[in-house]
Amino acid sequence: MTSGPVVFVVDDDPAVRSSLKFLISTVGLRVESFESADTFLAKEPALDEPSCLVLDVRLPGLSGLEFQRELAARNIRIPVVFVTGHGDIPMSVRAMKAGAVEFLTKPFRDEDLLDAIRIALARDRVWREKDKELTELQQRFQSLTPREREVISMVVSGMLNKQIAAQLGTAENTVKVHRSRAMEKMCAQSLADLVTMIQKLKSPSEKAS
Amino acid sequence: MPLLALIDDDTEKLTRYLSQCSRTSGRVRGGPRIRCSNHQPIICKVFGGLLREEQPRLVWLRLLPCNFVKSHSATYDRRLTKAKEKRTLQQDEQRWRTAFEESAIGITQAAFSGHFLAANSVFQNMLGYTESELQGLTFLDITYEDDRQTNLELVNELIEGKRQHFEIDKRYRRKDGTLVWARANVSLVPGTDGVAPFWFGIVEDITARKQAEHALQITRAELARVSRLTTLGELAASIAHEVNQPLTAVTNNSNACLRLLANGKLEPEVLRQALEEIVANAVRASAVIARIRAFIRKAPAEKGELDINELIEEVLALTGHELYKNRVQVERQLTKPLPHVVGDRVQLQQVLLNLIVNGVEAMSTVTTELRMLRVQSQFDESGNVLVAVSDSGSGLGLEVDRIFTPFFTTKAHGMGMGLSISRSLVEDHGGQLWATPNAPHGAVFHFKLPIAARSRHD
Repeated sequence: MTSGPVVFVVDDDPAVRSSLKFLISTVGLRVESFESADTFLAKEPALDEPSCLVLDVRLPGLSGLEFQRELAARNIRIPVVFVTGHGDIPMSVRAMKAGAVEFLTKPFRDEDLLDAIRIALARDRVWREKDKELTELQQRFQSLTPREREVISMVVSGMLNKQIAAQLGTAENTVKVHRSRAMEKMCAQSLADLVTMIQKLKSPSEKAS
Repeated sequence: MPLLALIDDDTEKLTRYLSQCSRTSGRVRGGPRIRCSNHQPIICKVFGGLLREEQPRLVWLRLLPCNFVKSHSATYDRRLTKAKEKRTLQQDEQRWRTAFEESAIGITQAAFSGHFLAANSVFQNMLGYTESELQGLTFLDITYEDDRQTNLELVNELIEGKRQHFEIDKRYRRKDGTLVWARANVSLVPGTDGVAPFWFGIVEDITARKQAEHALQITRAELARVSRLTTLGELAASIAHEVNQPLTAVTNNSNACLRLLANGKLEPEVLRQALEEIVANAVRASAVIARIRAFIRKAPAEKGELDINELIEEVLALTGHELYKNRVQVERQLTKPLPHVVGDRVQLQQVLLNLIVNGVEAMSTVTTELRMLRVQSQFDESGNVLVAVSDSGSGLGLEVDRIFTPFFTTKAHGMGMGLSISRSLVEDHGGQLWATPNAPHGAVFHFKLPIAARSRHD
């Protein structure tokens, strides 16, 4: 198996690590395991496929929560499922606030872990689709001329063609041409469609939500 | 020559004098000093016997020259002194007899053979035997079987002159079969002319003291156990983690097998590997539980030969999460192999646990520097195993003298018994526990324990 979703397991306990690997592999997922956050970061595994992390909170070196922060700082976006031998509420709250998919206390039910992994992978897939869409949108947007960009940003803000023409000091027809070309380049079916696209482009930070 | 002829004064005069002196018939004493005529006049004391009839009649007369009285007074004094001495001796004897009988403590005298010669009432009451019954017994006969050997060894040392006297805490078996704890002070009184050497013993009933000591021991053991439970409570998260890890591995492996089985994809080799892991982890979990159970058990101390390094590893495993949570790095400097010591596993684990938990807590306020806990073990030439637990915490400062005092604590939630209990546990093992400053800061707690006799010969 060299393609398909990958689950990265990070746990310092060899017995737990190998058992997790075994369990997750039974549902046909690829599993790569690491004994610490540092070895994961050092190896920098490729994240070409949908993937998620199954992370022990207690790790030597960087703790699970610190690892979660470190990934964010490095702009590595990957859903995290936490497992812990001694979950306390403040710890799980912190983890969930930082975007963890699930926080499981050992020993956990296998369905709980596998469900969490499924959700995590689904979330990653969605992220990836959104990413892909955004990249396409950006490419389309890049193909617009400066004038076309100017026009559509005014269109999106709710201005009428007439008003745009007045503000740009050009003919209304010219505006119409720019507008229809831009719509065409952006593959927008309607004005509402275009507004949505521009909003997506404006707030790329929302992609992680 | 009749005696009277020698006297100048006539008999009548003398008789008259004597009759004035004494009105009763019979013996008279005293009288005038008289001169004997044909000799050098000498002054005599006159003693005479009068028969009182119509005319008192002198029936006998004794003259005692005064110089004779003087020359004989020394003998007289000697005789007096002797009588006085005899009286004093009798008084002394009486005094000692009273002291012997009325003493609040048991006093006994035994022949060199060990047979009792005398015993005061306290000793008799202590043992329930009369003096005459005791005279048919030796001190060993009434000594509790387990204490006889020690007693005999000390007796032999007295006989060999290795010591002047000895003191022993031992148990006697009373006539009714019950045991009584006593402290006996025994000396061997050497023989003199005509007097054979004998044993002299002063025996105090210390049963009440021993019972109090025993009660104290039980209380201390209970306190130690409570302290263990408290410490374990603080380590609950760590223990839960220690148990959960293997259980997680067991659950995961089992669930994985069930899933494969349901899909008809479970291969024997995969199953075998999974089962091996399951067994290994179940054993691992039960070992943790056994360790905890041993740790909280109520059983009395059981001393056996132990490898301190093993204990250190066990306690570090138990405190693993605590160390992790507090971001403490552990450095082991263990000498291997280490000679064994004789001790109670749980008690020594408790000492190590206290020292390690204290070290971790001492470093909890350290934010700038590395939190380093160093555990060292070694042994020295004089037959001790040395253990040192060092931290890089805030150190002991001026409190170094007080830390071993019961109820002294620097912690917000501490009971203040940990170090005090640890010290008494180490001392119960014939060892010592002390603290020194660590460089550049922090504290080092050391303890040493004697090496087991068998290990010494290795």
